Amino acid sequence: MSDALQAPVCEVHKLWTEYGPTIIHRGLELEVRHGEVMALVGGSGSGKTTLLRHIVGLTEPTRGEVRLFGTVLAELDREGQRQTRNRFGMLFQQGALFSALNVFENVAFPLRELHQFDEDTIHLLVMHKLALVELEPKHAWLLPAQLSGGMVKRVGLARALALEPELLVLDEPTAGLDPDRSKKFVHLIKNLRQQLGLTVIFVTHDLDTLTELTDRVAVLADQHIVACCTLADLGKVEHPFVSNFFQGVRQRLDRLDQPGVN
Amino acid sequence: MADAAFRIEDYPGGGRRVVLSGCWSLREVDNNFADLREQLRPFFVDPFMHWDLTGVEQIDSAGAAVLLEGWGHTIDNRMELLPGQRAQFSMLAALPTRHSINAGHGRVKTLLRRMWDAYLNFIFHLVDFIGLLGALALEVLYLLRHPHEIPWKEISANVYKGGVMALPVTGLVGFMIGIAMSYLMALQLRKFGADIFIINILGLAVIRELGPILTAVLVAGRSGSAMTAQIGVMRVTEEIDALATMGISRVLRLILPKVVGLTLVAPLLVFWTSCWALAGGMVAANLQLGIGFEFFLDYLPRVVKPVNLSLSMVKALMFGLLVTLIACHFGLRVKPNTESLSASTTTSVVVAITAVILVDAIFAIFTRSVGL
Repeated sequence: MSDALQAPVCEVHKLWTEYGPTIIHRGLELEVRHGEVMALVGGSGSGKTTLLRHIVGLTEPTRGEVRLFGTVLAELDREGQRQTRNRFGMLFQQGALFSALNVFENVAFPLRELHQFDEDTIHLLVMHKLALVELEPKHAWLLPAQLSGGMVKRVGLARALALEPELLVLDEPTAGLDPDRSKKFVHLIKNLRQQLGLTVIFVTHDLDTLTELTDRVAVLADQHIVACCTLADLGKVEHPFVSNFFQGVRQRLDRLDQPGVN
Repeated sequence: MADAAFRIEDYPGGGRRVVLSGCWSLREVDNNFADLREQLRPFFVDPFMHWDLTGVEQIDSAGAAVLLEGWGHTIDNRMELLPGQRAQFSMLAALPTRHSINAGHGRVKTLLRRMWDAYLNFIFHLVDFIGLLGALALEVLYLLRHPHEIPWKEISANVYKGGVMALPVTGLVGFMIGIAMSYLMALQLRKFGADIFIINILGLAVIRELGPILTAVLVAGRSGSAMTAQIGVMRVTEEIDALATMGISRVLRLILPKVVGLTLVAPLLVFWTSCWALAGGMVAANLQLGIGFEFFLDYLPRVVKPVNLSLSMVKALMFGLLVTLIACHFGLRVKPNTESLSASTTTSVVVAITAVILVDAIFAIFTRSVGL
């Protein structure tokens, strides 16, 4: 495939975010290539989630621009925005399922909004998405309040995948899951990425998730991206936060490299 | 990548086939599967039509699902598929269909069944409500033995929120209603030359009936809905459970202060609203009928017996209690979703107002010989 030659999925250029006197981002530069998995890491309050929200167009930066699939969302008309937004799916930290709708209706919602499918097809597609995230058909009739934390995330993922997006944006995909569940969830995302050819941008605090999933990692600190490289290359970056952070990563990378494990 | 497209080819030996090409995928934004399905419909129904998908660049689950539904959820040797596509289609075909799953759902309830459900629902509400009353009574007994645990701060906060903050709106509404009533009645009374009776009618109507009802409706809409929403959200965000784990009784700390605060403040609010309504009536009577303020105030106690004021205060206590109890009851029944929160808040206000009017009617019958 000509993946490498394709335009970057997401470009962030000279991005500034200011809330009154506090500056969160100071001229950020970031590029996410087609088909890669990019992780955003950084300390609490370093503006990871804010950056993610800029990328999906929920908020606008004070200055600078974010290009998604080569276009700036805010410059498009309504229909264009809708089409571009349908090209990515977002999984929110708390799932953000519509609490008044059951699992089936939640996943069917974006499909219905497209007005292209009849009920039978929608049913088939919802069942397919639920199967993708390893949920059983009987779970389709539960309400979000009746689901466990891991299931909420999986339903959120199914909803994000409903329109066959090219880009998946995940905000802390494994936060609030126990290690076992979080491992399963990471494997799920990994499998889906291979099956569906996804580009993934995600924010995480969890080093296990990071080492399992990531191609490249962007480290946010001191209002800048201080490093944007592969995990192994992080060791070459001289920055107190990065070197501190890398120690944890290296232990896990070493464990992965050992034969016989996994 | 090209858009999804198809063409019809004739086999040399007779028969036809549909040859699909392009990208049968949602990622191709120009694809419209509704149109494609419409165009393919005549070929879907033809049982001898063959389908060739080997020229398709890419097909995703959406494209596959549309085709599979068109083929009646079956794949047979009429379809020429690549191995990858065959796996994709058979995976989709293995999923449960809408009809196999929905058999148990969406059954229409009979009228009788629905009435029975409504009856049961009412009984559950009643049981819960009585449970709440019991819990409150126990807390009151507990507080009598441990007076230092009385939540004064919360009670005073509720007096402020439900009472002081409600002063402007109740005063304004009372004044306006007073003007409207007095103005309309003045027109009628003048026809009979019975101008002076405006004081009797206004005094009795406002003090005995309108003041309490008006205040109760306003309080139910203002404080009742706020209480239901607050308790409801606290339930959803598990704040109530957090209280319980700290060994703090939710009834004592949340419900009781609301009930006590609003019940105590209700008579004062009713008095305040009645005063403003009478003031409004007085102004209109002065303008319309030329009845002086001093005369009005002097004459009022002579035609409206003081016992009416007592009745009004008793009513106010009952209404305040009723509105808060109902608001708290519905707040505690909120389920953790947005729909339930809005439904509970609405129901709380509607039930509170209905209950107030019902109790008022019963009260009016029992006190028909008092103070008239």
